[in-house]
Amino acid sequence: MERSNYKSEIPIFEFHGGIHPKEHKLESNQTPIQKIPLPQQLAINLKGQAGNRSLPIVNVGDKVLKGQVIAESDGIFSTFQHAPCSGTVVAIEKRPIAHPSGLDDLCVVIETDSKDQWCELFPKKNIHELERAEILAHICESGIVGLGGASFPTHIKLKRESGIDTLIINAAECEPYITCDDRLLQERAADVLRGAQIISHLYDDINIIVGIEDNKPNAIDALVDARKQLEMDTVKIAVVPTKYPSGGEKQLIQLLTGEEVPHGGLPADLGLVMHNVATCVAIYEAFEFGKPLVSRVVTLTGEACQKPGNYEVPFGTPVEHLMSFCNATNPGVLVMGGPMMGFELPNPKVGIVKATNCIIMAAPKELKHDHLALPCIRCGACMDACPASLLPQQLYWHAKADEFEKAEEYDLFDCIECGACAYVCPSDIPLVQYYRYAKSTIRNQKVEKTKADKARLRHEARNERLERVKREKAEKHRKAAEARRKAAEAAGEDDAKKAAVAAALARVKAKKAQQDDSDTKTESNDQKDTDA
Amino acid sequence: MSLISSPFAKKPTSVTELMLWVIFATLPGLFALVYFFGFGVIINLILACATALVTEALILKVRQRPVLPILFDGSALVTAWLLALALPPLLPWWMTVIGVAFAIVFAKHVYGGLGNNLFNPAMVGYVLLLISFPLEMTSWLPPAELAQNPVNFLDAVAYIFTGTSMAGEPMTATRLGVDGFTMATPLDHVKTELAQGYRLAEIEKDAVISGLSGSGWQWVNIGFLAGGLFLMFRKVIGWQIPAGVLLGMIIMSFVLFAGNSDHYLSPSFHLFAGATMLGAFFIATDPVTASTTPKGRWIFGLGIGVITVIIRTFGGYPDAIAFAVLLMNMTVPMLDYYTKPKVYGHKVKRQQGDTDAH
Ligand code: SF4
Ligand code: SF4
Repeated sequence: MERSNYKSEIPIFEFHGGIHPKEHKLESNQTPIQKIPLPQQLAINLKGQAGNRSLPIVNVGDKVLKGQVIAESDGIFSTFQHAPCSGTVVAIEKRPIAHPSGLDDLCVVIETDSKDQWCELFPKKNIHELERAEILAHICESGIVGLGGASFPTHIKLKRESGIDTLIINAAECEPYITCDDRLLQERAADVLRGAQIISHLYDDINIIVGIEDNKPNAIDALVDARKQLEMDTVKIAVVPTKYPSGGEKQLIQLLTGEEVPHGGLPADLGLVMHNVATCVAIYEAFEFGKPLVSRVVTLTGEACQKPGNYEVPFGTPVEHLMSFCNATNPGVLVMGGPMMGFELPNPKVGIVKATNCIIMAAPKELKHDHLALPCIRCGACMDACPASLLPQQLYWHAKADEFEKAEEYDLFDCIECGACAYVCPSDIPLVQYYRYAKSTIRNQKVEKTKADKARLRHEARNERLERVKREKAEKHRKAAEARRKAAEAAGEDDAKKAAVAAALARVKAKKAQQDDSDTKTESNDQKDTDA
Repeated sequence: MSLISSPFAKKPTSVTELMLWVIFATLPGLFALVYFFGFGVIINLILACATALVTEALILKVRQRPVLPILFDGSALVTAWLLALALPPLLPWWMTVIGVAFAIVFAKHVYGGLGNNLFNPAMVGYVLLLISFPLEMTSWLPPAELAQNPVNFLDAVAYIFTGTSMAGEPMTATRLGVDGFTMATPLDHVKTELAQGYRLAEIEKDAVISGLSGSGWQWVNIGFLAGGLFLMFRKVIGWQIPAGVLLGMIIMSFVLFAGNSDHYLSPSFHLFAGATMLGAFFIATDPVTASTTPKGRWIFGLGIGVITVIIRTFGGYPDAIAFAVLLMNMTVPMLDYYTKPKVYGHKVKRQQGDTDAH
């Protein structure tokens, strides 16, 4: 593929490993972004983002306008969802969703009308007069999430304010086949930069670096022009060599700064925030036009796709609809996302979500299918390819043997599941599958363990309490006996005998009292515990 | 798991392909062997490969594994091939068969098959033969230009299968040099002569010693060196292990040589004698039984180089690559564990103190 000879404006560092799979970008990046005819129904998944489910606020039968809120943030870890077109809510029910598990989840189903009519929009062009919190709230209410693929709610990512000095715009788009960011830059580079400006404003105008792979010469030219047009001279364009996974957050940071995000830390620990090209455009539209996020650019490609290209697709559009639009009759595999990190769609009925950057409608032999995996020959090819500098062969060995502690010792959780190891493995071992399995098992075990720990702590606390009650009782009785003895002594020598008898009687009585008392106390305590 | 997990893209390399490259890269060395030591090598190769395939197929049947795909991963073939290249050219046929079968059955499948074995199968087979049949295993022929009775193809077949030539002559005749003495390999020769009190300066005048080590042997080593470099260039093998072996050998032999050059062989002699290059590039690099981390591979290689020189110099056998490889094989699990590379985002390596403060 053609490489840009534009010279990076900042020095570029290297990251370990990486691979050069066939790029397959030309199939889809030659034509402008187009609209797609509306389907009859849209099924908007309420968990169509990283985090929690949004809370629906419409009812079946409601008429909605395009851009109207249909679900609200749970206030903790989700965003708003909006009607992607005008029409009628016909169902709020479980439907198959775009998730590798193939499970169903809650969706708002909208029967579209042909008007595609927007609700009233409230632009907020005056960002300089807005409080930080207001800007974040508007981003949240516009339903904006990271559009690079992870779909992490953007307002949460932007929350941390202190210590941030650089915004990196991730335009690397290193996965094969995907070209939606490429096209977006070619056509709307200025809007990308305007969106970046809004983010930068949130931190009192920080540095902006655009990180882009050198296999997008047109996008780079467009960026340079847009920068000139907007007089944003401080924006730096960093051109990185094409190598997968340069667009991984950690890898792009390493490429542009030479630094590594500390284990268990965040880019913010290095003073960085990173946002994707499409996210910037979404932010720009939210403020400039008041438009919430109701659609995104999706690359439709693959050999079975007769009209490959990039399309503006409303959320909830069934993949089926896209397939019939592209005349893709029975593709071999249907992949959502790229060939390296995407997943095979369990069902073509699922709707497009905010994370969907690409649908590959692959011809039967186009993408790898089940092969007989041979044993690992410890050749180390995976190690040489791993961008996290792990030892994938050792991770595999231990994951396969269910030796999860060993796998953790080899830093399993630093694996970003990029698939570079499995790509190069001569034995065709589905390595990433083993890592996912090991990770989820370990996570489950940890949850179980915390549960067990809590139960144990509760049990110990209870024993402790019973113990304490007993001790206090005994102390009380001891004191009482003491007092009585003293009183008897004061009553004189003569009465000593009498006193001794009295004391003995008192002891017997006390013992009895103690027994009764502790019995009832224990019972009431038991009661309390079960209540708790 | 019904659905297939990402990645869906796959680099078109396979184990079979890697194994075939290895075999291909031995060709220059093999030509040198045939040129200097006759066709016995070829017969050994054929015998060894046939034995390997039959043994592997039988074992897979017994272990109820799919026979064809595993048989053609090429690993058994490579084991046999490398072992055969290390055998003396006129070794009786049944010894070759025993060595290969033992390597496949005990060094490989008893451990669970490809990928699970601790010891290099070819070297296990080699050492078994060396210990069981020391005389035959050290009976090399003189290189063609020094041989009194060069062996032709039919004679080679006859020797291997019957122990005598077509004309019924015993093996000893073939081992006579032009000077009428039984010839040994340069390493073997030096060892015996040193033991009899000769100095190196005197021994080096003998016909069997010439050039870098001995005529024939230096070319065999140069052949394997060339093939090995090709493998490195093709990235079929990493460079750390061969570099480690050669460097370890140079260091150790230099220390000895610098101490007493009249009694200890020079580094260049060690490098181009015996099985050095075959060992460094083809045998020590067997990925299954070598260390798998970059640093571990260095140490693994260095260890082999050093141990080889020590055993060659002070041990009872003329060559020692096989022993050195097996000894270092034992250290691999430990090497792997203590040489983990620094993982992204970790300031220091895990075993030197955990950085998970966050
Ligand atoms: S690439 Fe595959 S065969 Fe090679 S070491 Fe890694 S897991 Fe094993
Ligand atoms: S999937 Fe994990 S182990 Fe494999 S190359 Fe990527 S980060 Fe390394």
